[in-house]
Amino acid sequence: MDADVDVVMRVAAGDRDAVAELYDRHASRVLGLAYRIVQNSSDAEDVVQEVFSQAWRTAQAYRATRGTVAGWLLMMARTRAIDRVRSRQARHASVGDDHLDAVPSDSPAVPDQLIATEQAVQVREAMLELPAEQRTALELAYFEGLTHTEIAERLRTPLGTVKTRIRSALSALRRSVRS
Amino acid sequence: MTLVRHVEIMEKLEAYALGQLPEQDRRDVDAHLDACAVCTRELDALNTVLAGIGESVPAKTPPPALRSRVLEAIAKEPQDRPAPVPIAPARQPRRIQWALASLGVAAALLLAVGLLAFRSEQSRRQLAADVSQLQERNAELVERVQRYNGQADLALSILTAGDMREIPLTGQQSAANTAARAYWSATRGLLVVADRLPAPPLGRIYQVWVIENENKVTSSAGLLDAESPGRGFLIVTPPRAGAGGNVTVAISDEPPGGLPAPSGSIHLAGSI
Repeated sequence: MDADVDVVMRVAAGDRDAVAELYDRHASRVLGLAYRIVQNSSDAEDVVQEVFSQAWRTAQAYRATRGTVAGWLLMMARTRAIDRVRSRQARHASVGDDHLDAVPSDSPAVPDQLIATEQAVQVREAMLELPAEQRTALELAYFEGLTHTEIAERLRTPLGTVKTRIRSALSALRRSVRS
Repeated sequence: MTLVRHVEIMEKLEAYALGQLPEQDRRDVDAHLDACAVCTRELDALNTVLAGIGESVPAKTPPPALRSRVLEAIAKEPQDRPAPVPIAPARQPRRIQWALASLGVAAALLLAVGLLAFRSEQSRRQLAADVSQLQERNAELVERVQRYNGQADLALSILTAGDMREIPLTGQQSAANTAARAYWSATRGLLVVADRLPAPPLGRIYQVWVIENENKVTSSAGLLDAESPGRGFLIVTPPRAGAGGNVTVAISDEPPGGLPAPSGSIHLAGSI
């Protein structure tokens, strides 16, 4: 069995040590994504804590047939990070000065077990090959959680064009994973 | 589940996977996913890609204190105890359910024939007639299931085609309030979905046209299916092999059965 799935099954069975193992295997990836979305370390670390708490509480709902463990954790991280940005924007009305804080910009070395999966490498390469306007639209949807309408406003582009760009981008990424 | 409903859910899957749908739409999709293996598979594929985007972000080493903070937090936290989920996959593809249901009816009837074999010649004849009627009905059902599945597969292949373009259709005259859109892929075909569609003029039907603007060729894509009042849809392979360039999709009213070229008023139209 996939080692990740094995760990999640132990978490589901109530084994708190398995959460530590899950954390060691995936925390840096979860933090990376959370940071990419919330753009500051303190919020990103809060997101990491929330994600592993949620994983602990809901591990029984995880289905290996529906996606990888990393995908499951990152999906939770994305949702929580976007929620955090949205509530912060609602509080401040603008992201303004908390957009970036004092964080070393160089990425620290990535532990061995966190080398990206083949699938992630394929997606990353395919992202780079997307036409810039498609990549921008998809990034606004994925990393900023904007709706199609919000993206259309942000880019001053017709809604139909935004939909087409996102759909085309996702289709291209799907083909890259399939082939 | 009607085909147009299935297509409407397919249209929403991307927004669903991206977490962009309003609450009510999200619940509609959830309810549909419980019963539809095709959309579930499609959603899994989308989620795989989205997970890949998440994984492609550079990892970041967490500060050591975060690990103990996480473990302390869960030490105090109980786990959710969801209702037990059956180990066997809960979602049996609907296409199989349909086929099994119709086959089951035929099998039960055949069993009844065996049990009643000693009955009089007359009731045996009656039963044989019933069996043959049921087998016909069975064949008809299987054909309907195959047609449904074929159309649903075609709709999905159009929606996910690399060259697919969405074309909003604008209503003219009485169709001014109609919400309609076409999805056009020169390689896979055309999908048209219309809501709040007024009934066509008396004795007329709606026919869909693909006009290739550069080649100046107009082809009939077929008649708009009226699945329920106010709702129309059409799923077809490209009406002309090699159709390319920018196209206009138009819907006109025509006599029953349709015509080789448009003659009636245009009610909806849109161009790439």
